[in-house]
Amino acid sequence: MSPVVTGVGFVTPIGNDRAAVEGSLREGRHGMAPVEFLGNPDLPVKVAGTVKGFEVDSPSWRDWSWPTGYDVPKEVLRGLAPHGLYAVCAVEEALSSAGLRRGDIAGDPGTGLYCASAGSAMLLHHNLAQMRAVRGVRGNPMGVVSSIAGTLNFNLASHYGITGTVCGFVSACASSSHALGYAIDDLRLGRLRRAIVIGAEDLNADSLLPFAHMRALSKQSEPRLASRPFDAGRDGFVGAGGAVALVIEAPQAASNRGARPLAVAAGWGQAADGHSVAASHPEGAGLLLAMERALADAGTAPGAIDHVSAHATSTPVGDLAEANALRRLFAARGLRPPVAATKGLTGHGLSLSGVMQAAFAVLSICGGFLPGNPHLVEAGPECEGLELPRGTTGRAPSRVLSNSSGFGGSNVCHVIAAP
Amino acid sequence: MATQPQAATNPALARFPADVLEAYQRYRTQGDAGAVEAVVIAAVVDYRPSGTRAVAAVSDATRLFEDLEYDSVAVAELVFFLEDLFDVTLSNDDLAAVRTIADLRACVSVKLAAKARTA
Repeated sequence: MSPVVTGVGFVTPIGNDRAAVEGSLREGRHGMAPVEFLGNPDLPVKVAGTVKGFEVDSPSWRDWSWPTGYDVPKEVLRGLAPHGLYAVCAVEEALSSAGLRRGDIAGDPGTGLYCASAGSAMLLHHNLAQMRAVRGVRGNPMGVVSSIAGTLNFNLASHYGITGTVCGFVSACASSSHALGYAIDDLRLGRLRRAIVIGAEDLNADSLLPFAHMRALSKQSEPRLASRPFDAGRDGFVGAGGAVALVIEAPQAASNRGARPLAVAAGWGQAADGHSVAASHPEGAGLLLAMERALADAGTAPGAIDHVSAHATSTPVGDLAEANALRRLFAARGLRPPVAATKGLTGHGLSLSGVMQAAFAVLSICGGFLPGNPHLVEAGPECEGLELPRGTTGRAPSRVLSNSSGFGGSNVCHVIAAP
Repeated sequence: MATQPQAATNPALARFPADVLEAYQRYRTQGDAGAVEAVVIAAVVDYRPSGTRAVAAVSDATRLFEDLEYDSVAVAELVFFLEDLFDVTLSNDDLAAVRTIADLRACVSVKLAAKARTA
């Protein structure tokens, strides 16, 4: 039996709770804002999917602030990266929407935690610079747990008293889709009854500018032009930060406690490109295989998919690969499910991307709408045969295919279905 | 003495009250070892775990673990802060015997005295 989604939590560029995020998706409202990094107005990075209501630019947690309503004691804060703070807030909302309290999960051997983030380059840099300044004599004792990849698992497991399992996933922009996939498998295997899945990322100079040096970021300053997946004029992605959490449960466990399923995590699949350290396979070979495997796992034919949440980040190469893969899976069979690339609104949240899309699919299913591609002006020629609606469609999908691709040719796809 | 010491004395102290900044300034400019006490006490109070039971007055005899509910991580953070502030190194051996604020202050003072001798 496939697990059910019972809780969602958001700290995203387009809203810091479920209602705000759903409103932004419905209305096609983007979450990008002008940015200037390192006090250098000459940098070609002009906009980003910023997180509002949090002040976390300082490497010292003592300088941070966050929206009211979240109780984050300093014993927790001291081990967190900026995205760890986002994550705590997102998990709080996810637990609350699932009708769970901390006491329900703390010490429960049936609850697991599946995390994805790239760590905090900002804190890593700051802490190591401090260490080097004194020639290695001393350093921040919380430097390791707050900054390395794994910081989410360390901190959240401790904060929430997780005893079922705790693990982290590092596959670049497919990371949180991997986290969700392996959580689904552990539930299906009967190892656990409940999992918290969380993806999160910092958004600052250290997290984002290295991608500009790979020539992967848009140079546009106008948000509508900067992030426009599948558009013929796209010139790179727009970075984003935030955190999204899902609570998934074995159907019986959810029903035993009277929890209402929001959606079903119906199946997932993965495959690799075996092609490049960073670029997607030009034909989207790995992504196509991952989609086919996800559909097979969910027992779903391509014709039963009525919405596609594309990974498309607005890079020339990546979107081309995904368009090619989607054409082969759908258009070649005469199928035209509506495709939406929500990174047009959010920007690209890297490790956060996969679980964010999965959670958006849950909102689509519950709210009865399909997000569109409001920044799309003229689709690239590779999109011939794909259905790319600009606006929101007022119809509930029954099965959403949600794609993720990461560096190294990692491709992970999920089928999220109506309960 | 300035009633509003320059924040530039040490940005790590920016969140502390003016009298603590003044004490730190007194130590820096006049080598006043007695001023160290106020800084150490302020740091101990600042780094104590939150949500712990109220302690009426923090004094030299206040115990870090038993009275202020410090754990080993919080002690490590506190010590890192003091090391960085005073540019001294407290080893695990130095800290092994630290139970109270007086112990910690003495520990820091010994290091500062040693530093002054070699300066």
